[in-house]
Amino acid sequence: MRKNNPQALTWQRRIMRMLPFPCAVLAIYGILYIINPVKISIALKSTGSIFSHMIVPISLVFALMLALNLFLKPAQIVKFLGEGSGIKGVILSTAAGIISTGPVYAWYPLLKDLREKGVRDSFTAIFLGNRAIKLPLLPIMISYFGWVYVVILTIFTILASICAGYAVGALVKEGESDADCRAQQESI
Amino acid sequence: MKIAVSSEGADLEAKVAHKFGTAKYLVIIDLDSEESEAVPNPGASAQRGAGMQSVVLAVSKDVEVVLTGHCSPVVKNHLAANGIEVIPDLSGTVSELVERYRKGDFGKHEEAELGHRPKWARIDKAVFKNAARTSAKQFGMLLPILAGVVMLMGLFNAFVPRSFMASIFSGNRALDTLWGACFGSITAGNPINSYIIGHELLSSGVSLFAVTAFILAWVTVGLIQLPAEIAALGKRFALARNAVSFVLALGVATLTVLVFNLVVGGIY
Repeated sequence: MRKNNPQALTWQRRIMRMLPFPCAVLAIYGILYIINPVKISIALKSTGSIFSHMIVPISLVFALMLALNLFLKPAQIVKFLGEGSGIKGVILSTAAGIISTGPVYAWYPLLKDLREKGVRDSFTAIFLGNRAIKLPLLPIMISYFGWVYVVILTIFTILASICAGYAVGALVKEGESDADCRAQQESI
Repeated sequence: MKIAVSSEGADLEAKVAHKFGTAKYLVIIDLDSEESEAVPNPGASAQRGAGMQSVVLAVSKDVEVVLTGHCSPVVKNHLAANGIEVIPDLSGTVSELVERYRKGDFGKHEEAELGHRPKWARIDKAVFKNAARTSAKQFGMLLPILAGVVMLMGLFNAFVPRSFMASIFSGNRALDTLWGACFGSITAGNPINSYIIGHELLSSGVSLFAVTAFILAWVTVGLIQLPAEIAALGKRFALARNAVSFVLALGVATLTVLVFNLVVGGIY
C-alpha cells in the first residue's frame, strides 16, 4: 500500500480547510433561491459570466506558475537577495520580489535568516514591496483592466517599492531592528 | 563541477556526517580545479529548518552533487528542485568518497545523463514532475477561495444596488482612494480575488482611484498577517513597512490613474 506523504497531506488539508467558504456561499445561494429565485438566476448568470471571462487568463496563470517553478527556486531567489549592495542590491531585491511566488508568510523564515546574516532592512522591504507585482497573474489583470493600465501600475509599483524600502530602512534605522527582532522572539 | 560532502570535520580525512542537514561542515570540492573548501554548515546549530539552511548553502556555492549519509526526502526534493543530485547512505572519509565518485562507483550520474548543459537549462523528468506538482498545489489552493469569491460577486451584482456603493464611495476621489486602501488593507489572500472584486466594484461605478488603491493595499499592506510579520522581522520593521506601504498605495493609485487618464484620454 502506498504510504501517505506528510507534505502532500498538509496541502490537501489546507484545501479542505478552504472548502467551507465556497460551500457557505453555495448555501447562501440555496437559501436566497427560496426567497428570491429571480435574483438568484441573475446572480448565477453573473457568476457564469465572471468564470467564462477567467478561463483563458487562468490557463495562462497555470502555465506561468509552472514556468516559474521550473526555473526559479526559493533558495536561488534568497541567494539573489543576499548579494550586492547599492544599486545592484536594489535591482536584485526588486527582481527577487517580482519573481517570488507563494504566500508571503512562507518567505518570513528565509527573510529572517537573511537579515540575521546582514541583509539590509531596506532590501528586505524592497523585496516585500515588489511582491505586489505578480508575474503569473498579469494575464488576469490585463484581461480585467487592459495592458496600458497594468504597465503604468507596474512601473509605479516598482518605483514606489524602492522608495518604500529606503523609507522603511530610515524609519527602522538599519541594524536597530535586529535587537528589536530578538527581543520580540524572546517574548514569544 | 563542484561536489559537496557533508562532513564531521573541516578536512578531507574527516568522516562523512550521518545527516546532511545537521553536518558540521560541507566540504566542497571542485573536480576541475582540484580546489576544496570546508564551509561551516549553518544548519548544524539550527533548531529548526536545518535542512533548508544547508540547501541554501549548497545552492549558493553552485554545488551540483551532494554526497552524504542520511538525507530526508523533503531536503532531497529541495536539492533536486534546485538541480542538485543527492547520493545518500554513504560512509567513509571525504577523500574516499570523492575518489569513489571520480571512479564512477555511484552509478551513472545525472551529469553524465544531462551532458554539460548549463544548470538553468537542465529540465530532467524529476525537476519537471516536482515543478508540475508544486504548480498544481498552488493552483489547487487558489481555486476554492476563488470559486467562493466569484460566486459572492455574482450575489453582489444581483442583490446590492448601485446606490449602496454610491453611499460608501461618494465620488470624492481623495476619500474614495482612502476607503479603497482601507478595504485592501484588511483583506488578504490571492491577488486574483482583488482583481475580480476590483473589476466588479469598477462596474458598479466605483472610481478607478479607489479600485487601484484597493488592489495595491491588498498585496502590500497586511493587517491580518501583521502578527506573523512582527514575529519574523520585528515589530518596528513590520509596523514601518505596513504604514509606508499604505501611504504609498494612496500615492501610487493617484499617480497611476492620472497618468492612465493622460494616456487614454481621461475617462476615469
